[in-house]
Formats: sequence, C-alpha cells, structure tokens
Amino acid sequence: MRIEIEHNLSLSLSPGSGQLLLHLLLTPGSGPMQTVESWSVEAQGIGNAGRFTDAYGNGVHLVNQTRIEGDVTVAARGVVVTRDTHGVLGRPEGEPVVALYKRVTPLTEAPAELLAGFEIEGNRLDILHRLMSLVGESHSTARQTQMQADGGQLQSQGEEPATAGDLAHWFIGAARSLDIPARFVAGYLVGDDEHEGGLHAWAEAFDDRLGWIGFDPVLQLCATERHVRLAVGLDGAAAVSLRTVPAGEISQSALVTGG
Amino acid sequence: MGDTTPFDEMYNPDGSVREPYRALAGWLSEQPDKALGLMQADAEAIFRRLGITFAVYGSDEGTEKVIPFDVIPRIIAAQEWRKLSKGIEQRVKALNAFLYDVYHRQEILRAGRVPEKLILNNAAFCPQMMGLEPAKGVYAHIIGVDLVRVGADGYYVLEDNLRTPSGVSYMLEDREAMMILAPDLFQRSKVAPVENYPENLRRTLESVAPVNSRGTPVIAVLTPGIYNSAYFEHSFLADQMGAQLCEGHDLFVDGGKVYMRTTTGPERVDVVYRRIDDDYLDPLTFRPDSMLGVPGIFDAYRAGNVTLVNAPGTGIADDKAVYTYVPEIIEFYLGEKSLLQNVPTYNCTDQDEREWVLENIADLVVKEVHGSGGYGMMVGPTATEEMHEEFKRKILARPDNYIVQPTLALSTCPTHINGDVAPRHVDLRPYVLVGDEVRITPGGLTRVALKQGSLVVNSSQGGGTKDTWVLED
Amino acid sequence: MRMLGRTAQNLFWLSRYVERAENMARLLEVGYRMSLTSRREGGASEHLVSMMQAAEVDEGFAEKHDVADVDTVAHYMMFDPDNPNSVYSCLMAARTNARSVRTAITTDMWESMNEAWLEYSQIRPRDVRGAKLLELLQWVKQRSHEFRGALLGTILRDDGFSFLQMGNFVERADNTARILDMKYYVLLPRATLVGGDLDIQQWTLILRAASAHRAYRHVYHDRYKAHNIADFLMLRPEMPRSLVYCARFVQQNMDTLTTLYGRKEACHEVAQGMVDMVANTDMDAIFAHGLHEFLTEFIARNNRVTDALSESYNFY
Repeated sequence: MRIEIEHNLSLSLSPGSGQLLLHLLLTPGSGPMQTVESWSVEAQGIGNAGRFTDAYGNGVHLVNQTRIEGDVTVAARGVVVTRDTHGVLGRPEGEPVVALYKRVTPLTEAPAELLAGFEIEGNRLDILHRLMSLVGESHSTARQTQMQADGGQLQSQGEEPATAGDLAHWFIGAARSLDIPARFVAGYLVGDDEHEGGLHAWAEAFDDRLGWIGFDPVLQLCATERHVRLAVGLDGAAAVSLRTVPAGEISQSALVTGG
Repeated sequence: MGDTTPFDEMYNPDGSVREPYRALAGWLSEQPDKALGLMQADAEAIFRRLGITFAVYGSDEGTEKVIPFDVIPRIIAAQEWRKLSKGIEQRVKALNAFLYDVYHRQEILRAGRVPEKLILNNAAFCPQMMGLEPAKGVYAHIIGVDLVRVGADGYYVLEDNLRTPSGVSYMLEDREAMMILAPDLFQRSKVAPVENYPENLRRTLESVAPVNSRGTPVIAVLTPGIYNSAYFEHSFLADQMGAQLCEGHDLFVDGGKVYMRTTTGPERVDVVYRRIDDDYLDPLTFRPDSMLGVPGIFDAYRAGNVTLVNAPGTGIADDKAVYTYVPEIIEFYLGEKSLLQNVPTYNCTDQDEREWVLENIADLVVKEVHGSGGYGMMVGPTATEEMHEEFKRKILARPDNYIVQPTLALSTCPTHINGDVAPRHVDLRPYVLVGDEVRITPGGLTRVALKQGSLVVNSSQGGGTKDTWVLED
Repeated sequence: MRMLGRTAQNLFWLSRYVERAENMARLLEVGYRMSLTSRREGGASEHLVSMMQAAEVDEGFAEKHDVADVDTVAHYMMFDPDNPNSVYSCLMAARTNARSVRTAITTDMWESMNEAWLEYSQIRPRDVRGAKLLELLQWVKQRSHEFRGALLGTILRDDGFSFLQMGNFVERADNTARILDMKYYVLLPRATLVGGDLDIQQWTLILRAASAHRAYRHVYHDRYKAHNIADFLMLRPEMPRSLVYCARFVQQNMDTLTTLYGRKEACHEVAQGMVDMVANTDMDAIFAHGLHEFLTEFIARNNRVTDALSESYNFY
C-alpha cells in the first residue's frame, strides 16, 4: 500500500530566551514491511542537525534552535510503501541484541491484574495472540479514544481512557514477564470505518522462528500493510518523536492517507 | 575469618621488622620526641594552604575540611607490587571486555555465565549505550580498584570503581607533602614515582579521542562545580594536564558536536573527562531535571563526535551484585584464572545463604548494592545490637539490595596517633588508566581508619590517608 | 589554550571583589574618622550614613538597624553576610571566584586569597573594637596589596592578566567616583568662606580614603584646595586611583586583548567613551557641568564598560 504521511508537531515552551535543543525520532526506516519512497523533516536548523543512529536503530536528528517567541513547529512528511507480511518483520540487520527487550522499564511493569489466571500454554505465537486479545478486551474502551503514539505518559489514571500507547505497554509488560522479548513501536495507521487513522502505537514481540512480529492490541491484529513503523524502543518514552531541552508541551497529529 | 589477627605490614609476628619497612624503622627510631607531631602539624598547614579540602556530605554547604594525612608512609615491596599490578591489569582488561560485550552481543549472557536478569534489569545497565563503538573499545578508562590486604601474600578486591573514582589527587599531594616533610627518608629508599600520573592521564585521554578528530585532541574536565566534594581534585587534574576545567554551562552541543564557550567564541572539544554521574550528565537523555550536565552531550557521543570518559553505563561492571561474577568474567574473556581474589560474598536472595547471614549478622559486613562512601553499610562486630536488628529487617525487606561479606581482618600499618605510633587498619586504592595501553601508577591511595579498631577508612567517616610507597628493586 | 568565557568572568570579578574589599575598608576608615571628629550632636551618625550612601549600602543597613553608630556600622560593613558589599562578603566572593578558576591563577595568588579568607573568616566580630578596628582595616588593605603583589609578580601576561586588571580598575574607578560623590558639595567652588576648618578636615579625609593625602603635596606643592583635590582624584594621569588613570588603564588592557585575540570588540568603544569623558576636560568645565551630574554619568558609563566586556568576551 502506498501511504502518504504528514506529521505535524508543535512545542510550546514557557516564556524565556536562550537555546533550544530538539531530539527528533522522525525518520522511518525501510525494511521487510515497508520501503520509504520519499521523506523529509522540516524544522528550523535542520540543515545543521547532528545525525546518528540511536541504541535501538532509530535515525536521529539533533537540532539546535535559538528560541523565539511563540510555538516551535516541526513537520515530517513523505511516502512509504508497505507490504503485508502477516505482521512479520523478521530479523533486520543493525538492531541491538534481542534480549535487550526483556528489560523491564517503569512504563512496562508487568500488568499483574491482567495476567492473573493467564495460562502459559501452547507455542509462543499462540501465547502472544492470546495476550493481545487479553489486553485488547480488557480495555476495549480504548478503541473509541483518540490514539496517541508517543505513549510517554504512565498508564492513564482515573477516568482517562487508555491510549494505544498504554495498551502497547501492557502487552509488552506482559510479554516480558513471560520472558518474551517485546518492544514499543511508534508509527502511523491508515484509518478505516472502525479506526481513525493517524499517529499510532503498537508492540512487537520476538519469536525464535519468525523473528519480530507486530501485535496491535487496539486493532486486535498483527501489524498490517496499514501500519507504518516510525521508531522503536524499550518503551514509549524511548521511541518518542520529539524530546527537547528545555522541556515543553508537545502536541502532534498526523494525516495518513493510503492509496 | 572474623577473629583472625590482622596482618601487620611492618612487623613479623616475632617482632622483627619486615624487609620493606627496614629503612622506615631506622628512620622512625632516630626521630626525636615530638618530631612526628610537628611534622603532622606542618602537613596540616600545607594541605590547608594549598586548599586541598573536601566537602562533607550532610554538613553545611561549602564546609571544607582537610583530609587527615598520616606522616608515616605505607610501603609495598617491589615483588609484591609486580604481582598485584598483574592482577589489576587482568581485571581491568576483563571488565572492559565485559562492558563491550554487554553493550553489544551479550555473549556472556547467552552462554549463561552471568545471569541475564542480573544485567538486563539492573539499574546500572544503560540501554542507551547499546551498539555504541567507543574509541579503542574502552569504556572504563579511569579505574580505582579497592584492595585490602589480609596476609603476606593475600590481597582481596573489595570493589572495582569504574564510574568516576576519586582520590587520585590525594595520592599525588600526599607524595608531594611527604617529600617536603621527610626528604631524608626518601634518600634512604628507592621509591617508584607517582608524579607522572597527570601526564599518563593526558596521554590516555588523547589516545581515546574520536577517530575523526584532528590535530591534538582538546580535552575538557567536566566538574559539577566548586561545591562538589571532589572539586579540588577536578581543578588539580585539569591544571596538571593543561586541560580546561569546565562546568556544564561552559560546554554546549551544536550540530551534534561539543564546544566550549571561550572569550573568542566556540572551541571544539574532543574528549570530556567528566566527573558528573551518568544521571546528571545530559538532561536530554538522562535525568531531565539535571542542571549540572550538558544537554545533548550523550547524542554527540553517540554521533561519534566526542569521547566521554568514563563511558556512561560502566556502573554495570562494578555493581556490587555483578562483583561476585568477576572471576567468571575474567575466565570467559581472557581464558585465565583470576589473579586477584574476591572477598567471599553471600547472596541474600538465596534462602539458605540468607538464613545463615541473619544468624551470623554480628560477624558480617552488610553493604547496600548501590551505596558508596561508607554510607548504607554496617560492620557487624562494631555495630550495636539495634543496628543488627535494623539491617536484618532491611535484608528481609529487600534481599536483592544488599550483599554480605565476612568481616575482613584488614592489614594494619604503623600510624602516628597523638605523638605515638600505633597500628591502624588500612586499605589500598591503586589507580589504573586504560587507553591505548594499560597504565598503573605504582602504589595508589592508602586510606587509614584513624579510630582504634575501626575498619571504615572512608574520609567521610573519620578516615585519613597515607603516602604509599612501592619500592624499586 | 583559549580561555573559557566563564573563566574570564571569574578572573574579572575576583580582582573586583578584592579591590572592593579594600575600598570598603577605606570608606569605613574615613567614615569612622569623620565620626570621631564630629563636634555636633548627631554628626557622627550623619557621617557614617553618608559614607554608607557612598558605598550604596545605606538602605540595606536601615533595614537591619535603627541606630547608625560606630559599632553597628562597622559590623555591617565588615562582617555582615547579608550585606553583599561587606568585607566578609567581598572576600568570600573573591575566594569563590578564585576557587572556580583555580587553574587559571597562580599558586601564590591562590594561597594569598585563601589565607586571607581563612584568617578573616575566623575573626570574631565582637573582638574588633576601637583601635582593633583600625588595625583590622589596615590588615584588609594589606591583604589586598599582597594579593595584587602576588598577581603582578607571578601571573603570565596573557588574556587572564588583562581580565584581572580590568576588574581591579573598573572597581577602583567606581570607588573613587563614589568617594568624591559622597562629599561633592564640599568640593564645589564657593564665592565666600574659602577653606573653612571643617572643609579642610573633610578634604583631608577624602584624600585619605584614596591614600592620597601625602601624594597631593608632591603634586601640587600647595595647601588643600577643593579645586586641586577634585583635579587630583579625577583628572591627574599620574594618580593611580584617579578616574582618568583607571579609565585609561582599562582601555589599555582592552588593547592588549585586541592584540592577543587579533580582533577588536564592541566594548572598546564603550571604554573609549569613558576615557574621553575624563581625558579631554578640566575641572572648570566639570564644575560648570555640575560635579555631581558628572560623577553620576561617569559611574553609569563605568557600569556599561562591564556590561560591554561581558558581551564581547562571552561572560555568562
């Protein structure tokens, strides 16, 4: 599927002057599931950005800006062509050792409540599918809520409905507690009648036979050709699209059209 | 081990003087009454005048104390040192190989030689370091290995300090002071020099400059500032190396490169010897509330534009829980048996060992896994019964947070105490530099527990220092 | 090796604070002597207050004390850590700056600074009264001289030296202008009553505050005259505390930096402006302009020099 993406981010800072440093994870990579046909990141100072690959294999821009009045905007746009692989990413090169993704982070504590009574039977794919439905069912409310890709917040509190990021974290936490490597994927989704398109988040878990496989607890599907991978990490905080010093409030949205 | 007699470094059990201490014994016997007392007073004045002070945590901000200096040197024979330094070299090579592996393919975890969970879920493991290629493959460039001596031939490694070990300036200043105070004593002995440490440090730092840096690498020492307890050392080392002493806001990152703000504009920096802990190093990658660090410096490191010394994440190799696996680590990477011994360590997460520990707590030393500086530590034989109970509760509540070791009979050295000379317990921290080669300064810092019977040598807990002599053949 | 902007700043302020500590001691000495010679009821207090006005610490003092007598004023000027300009605060700030640039100053400078601070911080204020006060004021001056001596005798003549010197002389210019402003009215030309007793006494004290009462005789071969005293402290190029001397000295050090760095910075123009103000004029013109107005303007320009310096050489 040929997918056009336009991702807009806006950062609002408390008033002040000085320098602003932006760490951007806004560069999708090509691989078994997708080929990036064209892509560009727009931000003041992007031409002078430091560029490198982070610990998880994501392409990073490190951008300096002199702070100005008003909000700072960053945009990424381009075309990605995806393939349906039944969710299987496999074992791409240049990635860190798989076992890394067994590390439990504050955002991926095992969801004990969810796992109570869960039976660890069958092969790993079986287990992962059952985990996906478990996470999805117990938080079906999330389907109606706006999806959030950065997942940088802790599991929602009180009345706040769960986000796609939350669901991904629960899935990852559950998988890791069963000694299965799992990681967070920040990306985009082409919408349909049931699900709004735009920014999205899901998880990938590792199977010794097939390699990495995408699991989307919101859609209750393995990653499809409607999914575009943008960045991965131990959790949402590691895969967040924009981090800055000084920190500010970030709002973002993406227009994702599949043709 | 708790009730064996400590090894006396100066006297044999029959009262005769051990070989390395002969010259000292002669010199001591010639000193008139009160001479040592006067030397002691002179030493204090020298240190205070030079501003060789440290700040004590928990006391008023800016309170500075002179670390007590004992005028009687601690002496190590040449052949003793040769053995020791071989063991140290082996250890630091293996630990660097371990760090490389842990942040790359993790072969040692796959082989099951070190438990995977112990590393991957360890707070000291730094996932952001995965896949990074440090210059020369070195992570821990500056290491202070804490040793205790328990016999004529027996040294134990207490701890490998691979993060930002301090105290090397005391080693250098103690020698300086000793040469001023007792030049005649030096004339009688052939003492291996320590003065080339700053030069060696500079060479080590230059040797690990990023591959793409040009010309003579520019080195900056990054300090948390003048209120840090080791600030004197930071400025001392920068001065001795001819490097720039920087605080966080003196450096900035632009285009993925590190610069310092000079009177004539930005100047590129190649190597940062940072004396700021990982957590505070970079608010963009680590603790966002850090005011001490340099935003973006870790990214510049990942981009290969600067070398951080030591690398972030080295703490995984000197973690107290990983410590017990060091002999295993040496075997795995070097195919050799460990030359230096570890202190036997009990694992409280094992039920049998824990029960044994709880029963025998009065004879044991309990250390917090992530504690340092003598804080969060209990020495059983000198602790009160309430403290025994308190630490029993702590161990039961979080068995993984503590390691337990037998009380070691730390060796003793003659020490000047109020005009008399009396034995006091000492440890030893040799300093090791790892870059294009391994450089070990002969000797190191001897810390001495000035309180009679005390085994805690930390300066924050009433410890002092001694000049440490390695004799040459 | 190039110098950090912060290092330049620390060096500048290190010297400034040492000079300021000395000047505070000088001012207090003048205030103290004036108060001793006052013959009127309440006169002593007035002298002390006007001295504190010159030091710009009068408001802070009034917040803490109701009565301005020798004890309260001396304590406030010498030992009060709440007074940012007390000798105590100045020495502490100087030492803190020195500690931050430990690698950029010589061991002799550091030791002189460190010892001064260690000694001073041990003094118990209640032990310092009467003759002891004058003794301590003398000690402060001597320590300042000693530090300057260590500086001149040991430090490399590089950019660091220039920043140190500028700090010293910017502060000194400021102080001389303030001393003059404190008693500017006794210096004003008057049609009648030339050289009344009281004025002579006050003039002497003004000169004394600048350690210039004896040098005056050598330069003017004349009794104290208001016109000469003002001329001496403002316009005489050979007087090392005069405004013109200090301004030129600052300018010369900027020239040195220009040569060293191969680049002229914006602060030069600001320094030039300050020099022009005192180099191309005479006392008649200044009196005509208004002495007080002139001094106020000079102090403001001097402050702009510091700002421009910070800007040009990346203090932060």
